[in-house]
Amino acid sequence: MTDIQHKAFLFDATRCIDCRACMVACSVENKIDMDKTRIWVAGVGLIGQYPELKRASMVYHCMHCNEPDCLSACPVGAYSKRNDGPVLYNKDKCIGCRYCMNACPFGVPHFDWDKGLIDGAFIDKCTMCPQRIDKGLEPACVATCPTDALVFGERADLVKEAHARIQAHPERYVDHVYGEFENGGTSYLILSHVPFAELGLPNLGERPVKDVSEKVMEITIPFALGWGTVLTGTAVAVHLLNQKKAAKAKKVEEEQTEEAVK
Amino acid sequence: MKMQIAINRRLQVSPLVAVLLTLMGIAFVVAMVRYIYGIGAISNLSNSYPWGFWISFDLFTGVAISSGGFLMAATVYIFELKQFKPLLRPSILTAFLGYIMVVIALLVDLGHPERIWYMMIHMNPTSVLLEIGICVMTYLTVLAIEFAPVVFEGIKWQKFAHFIHRFIMPFVILGVVLSTLHQSSLGSLLLIQPAKLYPLWWTPILPILFFVSAVSIGLSMIILESSLSARYFHRGLETHLLEKLAGVIPIVVGTYLIIRFAQLGLAGDYKYLFSSGLMSVLFWTEILVGSVFPLVYFSFRKNRQSANGLLFGAIVVLLGMILNRFDVSWFAVRHPDPLTYLPTFMSGAHYVPSLPEVAVSLGIFSAGILAFGLAAKYLPVFEEEEPHAEKL
Repeated sequence: MTDIQHKAFLFDATRCIDCRACMVACSVENKIDMDKTRIWVAGVGLIGQYPELKRASMVYHCMHCNEPDCLSACPVGAYSKRNDGPVLYNKDKCIGCRYCMNACPFGVPHFDWDKGLIDGAFIDKCTMCPQRIDKGLEPACVATCPTDALVFGERADLVKEAHARIQAHPERYVDHVYGEFENGGTSYLILSHVPFAELGLPNLGERPVKDVSEKVMEITIPFALGWGTVLTGTAVAVHLLNQKKAAKAKKVEEEQTEEAVK
Repeated sequence: MKMQIAINRRLQVSPLVAVLLTLMGIAFVVAMVRYIYGIGAISNLSNSYPWGFWISFDLFTGVAISSGGFLMAATVYIFELKQFKPLLRPSILTAFLGYIMVVIALLVDLGHPERIWYMMIHMNPTSVLLEIGICVMTYLTVLAIEFAPVVFEGIKWQKFAHFIHRFIMPFVILGVVLSTLHQSSLGSLLLIQPAKLYPLWWTPILPILFFVSAVSIGLSMIILESSLSARYFHRGLETHLLEKLAGVIPIVVGTYLIIRFAQLGLAGDYKYLFSSGLMSVLFWTEILVGSVFPLVYFSFRKNRQSANGLLFGAIVVLLGMILNRFDVSWFAVRHPDPLTYLPTFMSGAHYVPSLPEVAVSLGIFSAGILAFGLAAKYLPVFEEEEPHAEKL
C-alpha cells in the first residue's frame, strides 16, 4: 500500500498546537455555515499518570481511503474517487439514506439534520479541496497550518517522510504511521506521540471494512438464479408427483367401482 | 372480547378505531414538521447515531414480521400442501401491508424521499442497500399481484381473479427468491460495520442467521395474526394447522442456535459471552427468550394444541427475535463521535429515541392494523375458512 500514486495529507500530532486555524480556513474556502464544519480539532486532554503526563490534539477530517467504504455502500453511487486522491460526494444523486455514515469506520460523513425538504438535507464531508489542487495549490487547511502539523503531497513521499521523522526521533513518536495500511490505506497519514486509540482512532485491519459485504454482493445474483432454479424444479417435481398420486388413486377407485359393478 | 372494528354507513367508530385514527393523525403532523424543519427537529438522531428507532422498528422489524407471506406462498403453491390454504391470504395481506408500512416509514426517514426512485436509475452494484431497495420495490409488486385475486373476488370480477390465478406460479417463485434475498440482505447491511457492531453479533454469516430467524418470526407472526383475528372477528381458528406450524418452530430455532453458537466458537468469541456487561445481558436475553424458550415450549404438544398456548408462545418468539433485530441495528452498534473524535462509548454520546420519532412509527403501525381490519371486513381474506375450525 506504499505504492498508491496520489495526493495525501500527513498529520503530526506532536506539532499540533490546537489553534484551530484549519477549521476556519476550511469553512471560508468551502463556504460552510458557521455552525457546521468539515474538519474537527479534538483536544483529548491529559493522558497518562503524573509525572508522565502528555497532551494531544487531533485534526480530523475525511481520511480519503484508497478503497472508500462510503463509495461501496452508497446505493445510488453518489460517491466517487478521483485518480489523484480526493473522495468526492455528489449531492445531485444523494437520496439521504445515511448508509455512508454507517459504513464509514471513521464517522466522517455528516448530515444536515436541520434542513427540511425545501432547503434539501445533504451529506457534507471534506473534499481535499479539488478546486485548489487543480490550480496547483494545497488544500486550505494545510496552507493555513502555522506549525506544519498538516502537510500535503504525493502519498509515497509522505509515507517516507513519516518514517524518516520516526527514525530521527524514535523517543518522540509511537512507531507506527496510522493510515499507511489501515482500512486498505488512507490518504490521511497520522503520526502521534500517544497511542492512536487515545486519539479515538479505530483499530482497523489492512482490508477495508467493506470487504465482506462486497463479497456477499458478488454472489447474490448467482445465488438468486440458482435458488430460483431449485424452487422451480421443486415446484414441478411436487406437482408431477401429486398428479401421479391422484391418477393412481383414481385408477384404484375406478377398479373398485368396476368390481362393485361386476 | 367485544371489541369490534366497524366503520359502517352511519360512521360509528369503535374506540379501537378512534385510537388508531388519532395515532395516525399525530404521526401525520409530526411527519409534516419533519418535512419542513428537518429530521433533527423531531428526532434525536445525530451524526453519532445516523440510524435509530425507525430503522430498527420499521425497517428491520417490519420486514421480518412480513416473512409469513412468502412462507405460506411456498407451502401452498410450491409444496402443494393445500390444507394450509386458509392461512395463505391473511399471511399475504400481512406481508403486503408490512412492506407498504416499511416504504412509508422510509419516506419519513430518507433525507430525500422524492428521490427514492433514483435507486432504479443510478445503481451501485456493491451496495447492499441497493439490493434491499430493489427487493422491496419488486417484492411489493409481486405481493400486489398475489393479493390482487382477493380484491377482484371482493368486487366480483371473478374473471380477473381467475386470470391472475392461472399465472401465479412464476410470481410465487420470484416472491420466494426475493424474500430469501431480502430477509438475508438486511443482515448483510451490517456486514460493513465490523469495527462498529459488537463481536457477539458481527459475523460474515449474518445473512444466514437473518434468514433462519426470519422463518421463525414469520411462523410466529402467522400464529399471532390468526389468533388475534379469530378473537376480534369471531371467526374460527385453524388450531390444527397452527399446531403444525408451531411444530416447525423448534426445528428452526434449534438450527439457529446451532449456527449461532458454532459461529461464535469458530470465531473465538466465547470470551465475550459473560464478560461484556450490558452486551452479554442483551445477547442472553435474545437467545433465551427468542430461541431456547420456544425450542422447549413448542416441543410439548399440549402447548401447540391450545389456542392460548399457541398465542403465548408466538408472542415470546417475536419478542426475543425482534430484540435481536434491535440489538444488531442499534443496541450493539457503536459509532465514532466525530465531534470529539472518540467512539461514542468513550465520548458518552448516546441515543434515546424522541417521542415524536416513536409517534411516527406508532402512526404507521396503526394504519397497518386499520388497513388489515378493513381488508378483513370487506374482502374475502378469510373466506377459505374450514368448516370444522374451532370457534372462539
